[in-house]
Amino acid sequence: MLKIIHTADWQIGKLYGQFEADEAALLADARFAAVERLAQLASVQGAHLVLVAGDVFDAQGVADRTIHRMFHCMRGYSGRWLMIPGNHDAALSESVWTRAARLGAIPANVQICLRPEPVLLDNLNVAVLPAPLTQRLTHTDLTAWFADAQTPSGMFRIGLAHGSVQGILAEGIDSSNPIAAGRAAAAHLDYLALGDWHGCRQIDARTWYSGTPETDRFRANDSGRALIIELRAPGIEPVVTPVSIGQYRWQAESATLRVSSDVDSLLERLSRFGPSDVVQLELSGQTDLAGLTRLRTAISQAQGRVRSLNADLAALRIEPTADDIAQLSADGYLGDVVAELRAAQDGTDGDTARDALVLLAGLLGARRDGVAP
Amino acid sequence: MKLTRLRVDQFRRFRQPFELRDLVDGLNLFAGPNEAGKSTLVAAIRAAFFERHRSGTVEHLQPWGDGGAAPEVELDFELGGTPCRLTKRFLVRKRCTLQFGTRTLDGTDAENFIAEQLGFAFAAKGSSKSEHWGIPGLLWMEQGEAQHIREAVTHATDHLRTALNASLGEIAGGDGDDVTNEVEKLRNELLTPTSDKPRGAHAEALQAEQCLRDALGAVDADLLIYRQKVDRLALLRREHETDTGERPWEALRTQAKAAGDALREAQSLQQQLDGERNAALALAQRIDLLRRQLDGHAAESRDAERRADAVVAAQRALDDANSLAAPWQQREGDAILRHDKARRTLALARAQDNRRALLRELDDLRRKAGAASAALAQAEAEQSRQLALRAEAAASEISATDFAALREQVRRIRELDIRRSAIATRLRFALDAGRELRIGDETVGGEGERQLLEATTLTLPGYGRLRIEPGGNDIAALARDAAELHDRHTSALSRLGLASFEAAEARQQLHALKLSDLKAAEATLKALAPGGIDALRAECAALDARTAEVQQRLDAHTDEGGGTLPSVSEAESAEDIARGSAAEAARQLAAARNGCAAAQAALEAAQRERDAARARLDDPARAKQVADSNISLTDALAQHAAAVQRIEYLAGRLDAVRPQTLAQDVERYTRSAEQLEKTFAQRRDALTVLEVELQAAGAQGLDERRAELARDHAAAARRADQLGRRARALDLLLKLLQDKRHALTQRLQAPLQKHLNHYLGQLFPGARIAIDDSLSPGPLTREGTSGSESGPVDELSFGAREQVGVIARLAYADLLKEAGKPTLIILDDALVHSDDARLAQMKRVLFDAATRHQILLFTCHPEKWRDMGVPTRALDTRSTT
Repeated sequence: MLKIIHTADWQIGKLYGQFEADEAALLADARFAAVERLAQLASVQGAHLVLVAGDVFDAQGVADRTIHRMFHCMRGYSGRWLMIPGNHDAALSESVWTRAARLGAIPANVQICLRPEPVLLDNLNVAVLPAPLTQRLTHTDLTAWFADAQTPSGMFRIGLAHGSVQGILAEGIDSSNPIAAGRAAAAHLDYLALGDWHGCRQIDARTWYSGTPETDRFRANDSGRALIIELRAPGIEPVVTPVSIGQYRWQAESATLRVSSDVDSLLERLSRFGPSDVVQLELSGQTDLAGLTRLRTAISQAQGRVRSLNADLAALRIEPTADDIAQLSADGYLGDVVAELRAAQDGTDGDTARDALVLLAGLLGARRDGVAP
Repeated sequence: MKLTRLRVDQFRRFRQPFELRDLVDGLNLFAGPNEAGKSTLVAAIRAAFFERHRSGTVEHLQPWGDGGAAPEVELDFELGGTPCRLTKRFLVRKRCTLQFGTRTLDGTDAENFIAEQLGFAFAAKGSSKSEHWGIPGLLWMEQGEAQHIREAVTHATDHLRTALNASLGEIAGGDGDDVTNEVEKLRNELLTPTSDKPRGAHAEALQAEQCLRDALGAVDADLLIYRQKVDRLALLRREHETDTGERPWEALRTQAKAAGDALREAQSLQQQLDGERNAALALAQRIDLLRRQLDGHAAESRDAERRADAVVAAQRALDDANSLAAPWQQREGDAILRHDKARRTLALARAQDNRRALLRELDDLRRKAGAASAALAQAEAEQSRQLALRAEAAASEISATDFAALREQVRRIRELDIRRSAIATRLRFALDAGRELRIGDETVGGEGERQLLEATTLTLPGYGRLRIEPGGNDIAALARDAAELHDRHTSALSRLGLASFEAAEARQQLHALKLSDLKAAEATLKALAPGGIDALRAECAALDARTAEVQQRLDAHTDEGGGTLPSVSEAESAEDIARGSAAEAARQLAAARNGCAAAQAALEAAQRERDAARARLDDPARAKQVADSNISLTDALAQHAAAVQRIEYLAGRLDAVRPQTLAQDVERYTRSAEQLEKTFAQRRDALTVLEVELQAAGAQGLDERRAELARDHAAAARRADQLGRRARALDLLLKLLQDKRHALTQRLQAPLQKHLNHYLGQLFPGARIAIDDSLSPGPLTREGTSGSESGPVDELSFGAREQVGVIARLAYADLLKEAGKPTLIILDDALVHSDDARLAQMKRVLFDAATRHQILLFTCHPEKWRDMGVPTRALDTRSTT
């Protein structure tokens, strides 16, 4: 019985420019925390081996302290870690790996597979066939050699690779670094651990993408997981169990507002987001000033609650009602201005008109309430 | 509003109560001289409305010097048809009461009520100032202030707007201007007011975004370089490993060695060849030498033959020369004979020529000698005449001194005579015919006169004698002087041998004549003998001697040949030709003789050379030498042929080996090996450098830095975008607000414009005045002499400004009236600067306005307002106080 934790695409060192600095920093930190939880998972599960299928680092040029910190996060598991370089951290002549080695950052129980040659772990009765990337992009199948690789009979044959399985994944997604479909069967592998695809995904009975342990984008995929692989004996199909590892849920919400109750339901949805949510909100349709005020209040409140909430209201049209205008007591020529801005929302520079309208409403509201804007 | 009664008490000029009652609708005209209290009444109306009754700063309302006075004003008026009475007392027992119909308001309530009705405000503190006066400030024109329309309108704008909005049916937002100002402030925080450039936080955000973008670009560039270096490192490593395994320079070294061996072999071959070539060269030189020796001998033989031939030829030449010389000998002798004959003829011709010349000369000399002798004889005669003349001249000469002395004496004698005759006694007589008397010794008859210079006795015959003695001493003295002078004169004349002074003068003239003759004689002599008589005489002698000498020479020549001789020139020409022939013949003879001598010498030389050559040929050693040389030449030729054969063989071998190519091969292989090793070493060094560089660059964490920069840049770009959007929105908002506000103002302006034009047409036909946003009169446009002209009202004359000020206020009044607002117009001594024509127009305007408004007009020129159709009320407090 062999128990392996399969993970990949840690993307250590990734920063999130689209977020505010404090949020981005927390999200970046979460990637280290995920590694700590992986180590803990391996430890708790009593795994014999952890396989990391590439893209450990987000880039070659990460800071020295980032390298140190990452390996430090792995200390929770003292068993054997096997890693291969992916396209983000390819084993170039000078790479993050050569640097890590120079820095003396790599612990003894961590082995980086920089060459395409079998790694025999006699005590575990495992032969690992790695397909490390030595270039940023390759157009040849680096796993091709698996089929002819000789390993002692009776040993588990485990493949470790990073790339796109041909014909399975959508065209255009990482179509470089190809991996032939059916590689596990062709090479008589007990299991083929893959990286590159950030969602957790099974390719065939013996081939899986573990996905990234910590979600890093809004694209809806099954990310934030790790795989527990149980192999009873060589040749027997593995038992694969996905477990949740990620800290944050990335949610892309969109809504088209038509009537007042649409705002209500949106507000209800917003109220459900919690501290582990990273939310992207896109609104379209139209609302009156009262609805806009409610919406803004709700967004502000949610932003205080969730990890991050990014609201895009550019496509939302503001349609003040007679009541709104009365409320604002926009009499005299102010009334003319409100009317003109309302109409101009549909013009060539509608965004600016909308902004101006909201600004004017804010100013008038503040005057009405007797506070400074 | 209509004011009906005004009462003041203890108010400035009015120490006693004063009341104006029965004020009517329309125009009310108050006239009074200066100091009559017109302005006090105006001030009273103003104080009643504008000043708080509690104000402590209104002492100026008290009469002068009456600090305890309680200025009081009471006004009766109608407001919107409601009768009102406002009573105010200041400073002492302060009081304010307003009776409004049946309502009574007191104190501040009354004041605020009336302020709201009329459209003005109170000062928060102190005296009321123009900015508080609102609409009354516009309609109540103070003395000399009517032209200051702009400030008055500014202070009234808000009241006007409020008052006018109702009439326009507009709901103007009270907040409008505040909001506009706020938006403008917010907008100007982000954009510059005029140029719309980003500023403040907006500009900073844009700059920050730019900085980060630049930094990102820089890091990207660094990253590109880094990645290129990584690729280069991989390439170099591959090459290095290949070279380390293959060591390509070793193969090259082996090739270089083989080529070196072959080269050395070729070099020894070359040396052999060089030896052979040297030997062959020496042999060839020897052959050459021998051949030259043999050639020398052969040449000697040929030379001897040639010299024998030369002797024969020289002999022949000598014979030719001799035969040529013989005829020239004869010819020369003939030529000399002919020349001698010609010479003699020439000598004879010349001698005859000389004799003729001498004969001519002799004639000439004889003629000259004759002429000279004649001249000499004449000159000698002249000379003796000259000597005679000179002697005569000397004889007739009287010295100038003597002559002068004589003349003086004569003059003085005359003078004395005159003086004596002047003082002499005159004796006239006329005797009867036949009678006579004697005067002294003289007997006289008839008539006559005598001067008696001395005592004279008159003898009258028959009667006796009369002795007459002239009076005075002088006559005697004079007589003595005359006698003495006469003696001297006589003595001088005798000394000179002269009878009288007239004789002296005659002699003097004679002397001058002689001198003149002498001069003529001297000139004649000079002409005859310019060089003097002696020279002339010598010339004669010389001519004589020359004549004798020529004669002698002529005598020596005998006449030869007679007339057969040719002329000298013909003889000379013949002699010349003969001499030339003789010389030519001599020259030809000499040349022929020279030719003979040269031929002789050549012959002798040729004979000597022939003999020498013969002697050399006949030398017995020479034959042996020639034989030896022939043998040596044969040997040398054989040896040389053998050497050439060996050289050909060796050269052929060397050609096949190509030593130069071998040397190049050695160099090429060696250098290539060195180059490869060097490249290897350099690459190894480059690898080291690159590794170090990449390690250093890697430590910078470039990718992570780039990610950080990208993150910060995205944030900065978001902020810049947000601020940009806000700026655009604010800008749009501000523009809209301003546009709408302007549109509204324009709607307010239209009726005002209408009223203003109404009055303006009366004052300046065809003129227009624009109304600006603050409802103030703007530029005035009218037809001038050069077409339409436009300019600010402020630049008009004072009079015109005042007129415009008044009509503008009237226009506001009309506007307010239409809005149902109270209007009361007060003019305090207005329009004093208007000329008669304009004043007449203004009167029409005012009369027209008075049909709608109550107007109080105070003036100190009542006569100017006599034609307003209303009575003039006289004010004169001076009589009342």
